[in-house]
Amino acid sequence: MEMPPSLIIETKSLCKIFGKQRALDGVNLQVPPGAIGLLGPNGAGKSTFMKCLLQLQPISSGSAKLLGREVGREGREIRKRVGYTPEQDCHIPGMVGCEYVTYCAQLCGLPFQVARQRAHEMLDFVGMGQERYRKIDTYSTGMKQRLKLAQAIVHDPEIVFLDEPTNGLDPKGQAQILELVQSLWRTFGITVVVSSHLLHDVDRICEQIIIIARGRVLVHDSLENLKARKRGAAEVVVADRHEELRLACERRQWACELLPNGHLKVEHKATSLNPLISLLHDLKLAPLEIIPSPNALEETFVQALEISHATA
Amino acid sequence: MPLHDATYKHWTGVHLGLWRRRLAIAMNGLTACLENKLIRHLTVVCWTVAIIMSAVLFMVGQLLVADSLIVQWVENLNPELQTFARMLTSWLEQHPEISVRTTQNVHFYYCSIYMLPVSIFALGMAMPLLVTRDLASNAIIIYSSKAVSRGDYLFGKFSTACGLIILTWLGPVCAAWFVGNLLAPDWRFFWHSRAALGHVLVYGLSSMGILAVLALGISAISSKEKSTIAFWFIWWILGGVLTPIATQTKPWLRHLSFSFNLDQIALAVFRVGDDIKIAQDNIPILGDMLRQISSKTMEGLSTPAIGGALVALAVMLVVAACIVVTRVKPE
Repeated sequence: MEMPPSLIIETKSLCKIFGKQRALDGVNLQVPPGAIGLLGPNGAGKSTFMKCLLQLQPISSGSAKLLGREVGREGREIRKRVGYTPEQDCHIPGMVGCEYVTYCAQLCGLPFQVARQRAHEMLDFVGMGQERYRKIDTYSTGMKQRLKLAQAIVHDPEIVFLDEPTNGLDPKGQAQILELVQSLWRTFGITVVVSSHLLHDVDRICEQIIIIARGRVLVHDSLENLKARKRGAAEVVVADRHEELRLACERRQWACELLPNGHLKVEHKATSLNPLISLLHDLKLAPLEIIPSPNALEETFVQALEISHATA
Repeated sequence: MPLHDATYKHWTGVHLGLWRRRLAIAMNGLTACLENKLIRHLTVVCWTVAIIMSAVLFMVGQLLVADSLIVQWVENLNPELQTFARMLTSWLEQHPEISVRTTQNVHFYYCSIYMLPVSIFALGMAMPLLVTRDLASNAIIIYSSKAVSRGDYLFGKFSTACGLIILTWLGPVCAAWFVGNLLAPDWRFFWHSRAALGHVLVYGLSSMGILAVLALGISAISSKEKSTIAFWFIWWILGGVLTPIATQTKPWLRHLSFSFNLDQIALAVFRVGDDIKIAQDNIPILGDMLRQISSKTMEGLSTPAIGGALVALAVMLVVAACIVVTRVKPE
C-alpha cells in the first residue's frame, strides 16, 4: 500500500497565461492534507488553479505535484485518486442519476458490479433517495450538487476538489452539503479543497486557508493562526440582559456593539477569552455561545485584497 | 441523525486497466444508441436481412446436392427444369472454385453496398450521442477529471461508432457468411468462399474506421443536436444527388460524397468486375443473364476511381480529426 504523501499539493512558480492575461502568476505552495479553503474574489484564479492541478488546463510554466506525483506526467494516475466537482453543470444528458454515478466510477477503473454498489452507497451518503432513478435533466439544483459530490467521491479518492459546491443552494441545502464536505475530512480522512468566494462556507469547514487574488497566493495559513492574529474580539450570545452586559463591558473600556442578530460584539483586546469569561462569571450570566474572532477570516481577506490592490 | 452515518466506506480493490475504462465509454455510448427506438428497429431489420442472406446461401448450396429438397422442388415445379438443375449441379461440383467463390463474392459485394446506407442512417441518428451532447452539457470536463485522457474518451466514442456499424452492417454480413456456409452441404464452401469474407472484412473494417472518424468529426462540429444530425444527412444526401450529375459534368465533384468514395473502395476490394466477367464466361444461364449488363456499367465496375477516392477520404479524415481535436477540450 502506497504511503500518503506529507504534502498533498506542491507547486513551484506555477503560471497559467491566457493570451495577455496571467491567470496564475508564480504560485508557490506546499499544502499538507486537510480541509483546505481556496478563497478569492471572482476571477482571482481559484478555478484555474484547480484545473491546472487536474490537467484540465495545461500549465504555462512552473511545476506542480499532486499527491506526490508530477502533474503533466502522470495525469491518469493522479486523477484515479482525485475527485472533482466543477462549478457548472456537467452531467451526461439522458442518463439516470445512479447510472451516471456508476459510469463515473467505471471511468475511474472500478469493476461494474463494485461501481454500481458504490454508486448507491454514495447516493445514500449524499442524501439522495428514489430520485436517483430519475433522469438527471429533471433534477433541481440541489440534487445536481449532491450528484456532483457523489460522482466525485464514488471511487474513494484521496483528495476532492470542490468548485463552489454551494452555488445555487438554499440555506438548508448549503448546510447539508457543507456538513457532508466537512465529514469527508474529519470523519473519513479525505482531503478536501473547497474553492469559494463565500467566506462563511470556508470558515465553517476548512482548517487551512489559501487566499488567491490576481493569480497570486496572498495568504496560506491555518484558520487557527489567522484567527490568532485577530484575537481580541468575540461575539457573545446571551438570552437576555444584553444591556447589563454592554454596560459592564464599557466599564472595562471594551468597545461593545449590539449586532442586528442579537449578538453582542465585544472587543476585549486580550489574547484569550479568559477576561470575558471572568466578566460573565462576575455577572452570573450564562452565555448561549461565545464566538471567538468572529470576523477574522473576513478581515484577513479584505486586508489581503487591499494589499494586493495597493501593490498592483 | 446525520445522513452520512455509516454509509461512506473506503474502497480497497484493484483498479481495472485502461482498456476496460475505454470499453466502458464505448459500451455506454452503444447502450445510449440502442435506447433510440429507430436505431433498435434498424438493427432488427439488418439482422433479418442477415437471416435472409443466409437462407439464400443455403439454397444455393443445396443446388450442389443432387437429391436435395431444393432440387426436387425445382424439378417438381417444372419437369423441364430437371435437365437444367442436373446440369447446374454437375457444373457446380466440377468448378466449386468458380461457383462458390464468384457467386459469394458478387453476393457479398451487393450485400455490403446495399446494407451500408442503413448503417450510415443509423450513424446519423446516433450523431448527438457521440460527442454533441457531451459538448452541450460540459460532460467533457467530467471525463477529463476521471482516470481517462481525451484520447481515451475519443477512442471510446470511436468504438461506439464502430460498434453501431458492426451491429447494423458488418456483423450481419459476416454472420450471413458464416451461417450460410455452415448450412452448406460441404465444408469446402468455407474454403472456397474465404476470398468473399476477406473482401468483406477489408472493405468493412476500412469503411468502418473511415465512417467512425467522419461521424465523430460531424458530431463535434456543433453542440446542437439538430445541427449535427442535419449536417450528416445533408452531406450524405447531397453527395448522392451530386454523384450522377458530376459524372456527366465534372467527375472530380463526385469525390465530395463520402459514400461514392466508399463505393469505389468496395469495387477495388471486391474486384467485382472481374468476377462478373468470369461468371459471364463460365457459369451457365447466370452468365447469359450477366452478359446483358451494359459495357458502360462493366467499365464502371472494372475501373474504380480509387486514387481520387483515397485522396478525398484522406482529406475528409484530416478535416474531421482537426474538428475533433479543436472542439473536444475540457474548456
